[in-house]
Amino acid sequence: MVMSSISKWIVDPRKNWFARMHMKSLSNRLRKYGLRYDDLYDPMYDLDIKEALARLPREIVDARNQRLKRAMDLSMKHQYLPEDLQAMQTPFRSYLQEMLALVERERAEREALGALPLYQRSIP
Amino acid sequence: MAIKRLLTLAHRSRQHNVTSTVRCLSTSPAVATSPPPPAPSPPPPTAMVYDRLAESVKSKLRQLENPDPRFLKHCSPHPVLVDHTKILSAPQTRVTTLPNGLRVATESNLSAHTATVGVWIDAGSRFETEETNGTAHFLEHMIFKGTARRSARDLEEEIENMGGHLNAYTSREQTTYYAKVMDKDVPRALDILADILQNSSFNENRINRERDVILREMEEVIAAAGAVKHEDIVEQVKKLFTKLSADPTTASQLVAKEPAIFTGSEVRMIDDDMPLAQFAIAFNGASWTDPDSIALMVMQAMLGSWNKNAGGGKHMGSELAQRVGINEIAESMMAFNTNYKDTGLFGVYAIAKPDCVDDLAYAIMYEISKLSYRVSEADVTRARNQLKSSLLLHIDGTSPVAEDIGRQLLTYGRRIPFAELFARIDAVDASTVKRVANRFIFDRDVAIAAMGPIQTLPEYNWFRRRTYWLRY
Repeated sequence: MVMSSISKWIVDPRKNWFARMHMKSLSNRLRKYGLRYDDLYDPMYDLDIKEALARLPREIVDARNQRLKRAMDLSMKHQYLPEDLQAMQTPFRSYLQEMLALVERERAEREALGALPLYQRSIP
Repeated sequence: MAIKRLLTLAHRSRQHNVTSTVRCLSTSPAVATSPPPPAPSPPPPTAMVYDRLAESVKSKLRQLENPDPRFLKHCSPHPVLVDHTKILSAPQTRVTTLPNGLRVATESNLSAHTATVGVWIDAGSRFETEETNGTAHFLEHMIFKGTARRSARDLEEEIENMGGHLNAYTSREQTTYYAKVMDKDVPRALDILADILQNSSFNENRINRERDVILREMEEVIAAAGAVKHEDIVEQVKKLFTKLSADPTTASQLVAKEPAIFTGSEVRMIDDDMPLAQFAIAFNGASWTDPDSIALMVMQAMLGSWNKNAGGGKHMGSELAQRVGINEIAESMMAFNTNYKDTGLFGVYAIAKPDCVDDLAYAIMYEISKLSYRVSEADVTRARNQLKSSLLLHIDGTSPVAEDIGRQLLTYGRRIPFAELFARIDAVDASTVKRVANRFIFDRDVAIAAMGPIQTLPEYNWFRRRTYWLRY
């Protein structure tokens, strides 16, 4: 219990200066390319992320893809987003975390019941 | 030349700008001190449609944190055994054996207004020889063509006027003639049945040949269910069924003379013009009276069945159904378990598209051979519960009850009460399933039948090798 409260304090930006600095630097870097933190989750890395993205509404996934395309375009041109647009970014507004947690909970429950998994990675 | 033109153009436009700004300044001095545009800030979460949708998704997911307890009260994904003996005290089946060997069995339910009464005979296409091939079915048709007392038309009219059904069916080991009528018409239905079975008028030499095939008095049962009283039925049967054949050969003797021998074999009919491939893999099973027949029924429920219309989809209990559903390797699949007098068949029948036939064969043989090694208690409990409910759900109405009575009297010699049947099913646990699988499946010959586009279906030795594992 003590360990869990210490670990909660460590990562909380409101309590820990180092966590605050980390969040600020992450926020700056994401702002420069116009990305959100949830855009960094890769559906090809984990099939749970793919399933969670499949369950989200189409507009959210479309906005995510547009942000990723804009960031790829900026990176290709070695540019950053214009300053006024950078001020309007919301890098920590989340849309994926809860759905991902739900998908992982369901998979754990299915495995605990002894059923076969619904999807499996095949090594390419 | 062109450069000169461009330069004059630029000069002219610059002059134009200067004069226009001077003009602006002179006419509207208040515009010069317009307020600066507001600094850009992040938009609120309700500005863009994807943010609004994300908020609604998050609120719905938060609702899942506290589920409504009403929905969880009666559902549990863990199979549990429940004792049902209290509700299985169904009306008792009473059996009387008449002096001429005929057995009369009834299950009386006087609150019903209809009844089914019929004759179950222990004869079928199994006992036909080369000369008598097709007789059972032929006789079943001829018998409705008239008797000495009633012509075919009289027969039809009498049944129709009563509002009853008169029907018959033949299978490999049984022939049945039964009638479904209102309660007050049961004596007349019995009269009609006795008439058509004993006094049918067709060609005399045909009568002798064919009656010998089917009407053996020892193995006949008259079963009745519904609004019937046992004593009344017995009285009427005694009066009506007097001219049965005196041939003492029983079905058991015929079977002993020509037993059915299981041979590991295969029949394949390759036909690329068919869209789907169908195949069945069968092991030698148990006969009706084998004590392991119940265990084979439980194993059939463990393997289960699946088709694309099944509501369970990828989430069914049987692991074979899960493999088929998740990987989409079959159009439909079912495990079958047939019992005969001295033998049986146990296996799986599947219909699939031609490109996934080999994966389907692997999944089927994996699950079948797994029954000899790794059986979980939860799986057996689920299969037991499913078997019990499917047995009871099938007994709805007087006709299924009468058919159950007739079939059980011919195969077991008595009607097994449901409480005893459920006790026998409950006696099958994981170790019993493993023992029975070792007896019927482990390293035993299989019989394969396949038709359609089956080029990729593995050959016989492949299947025969996968009846056992070398990993344990």
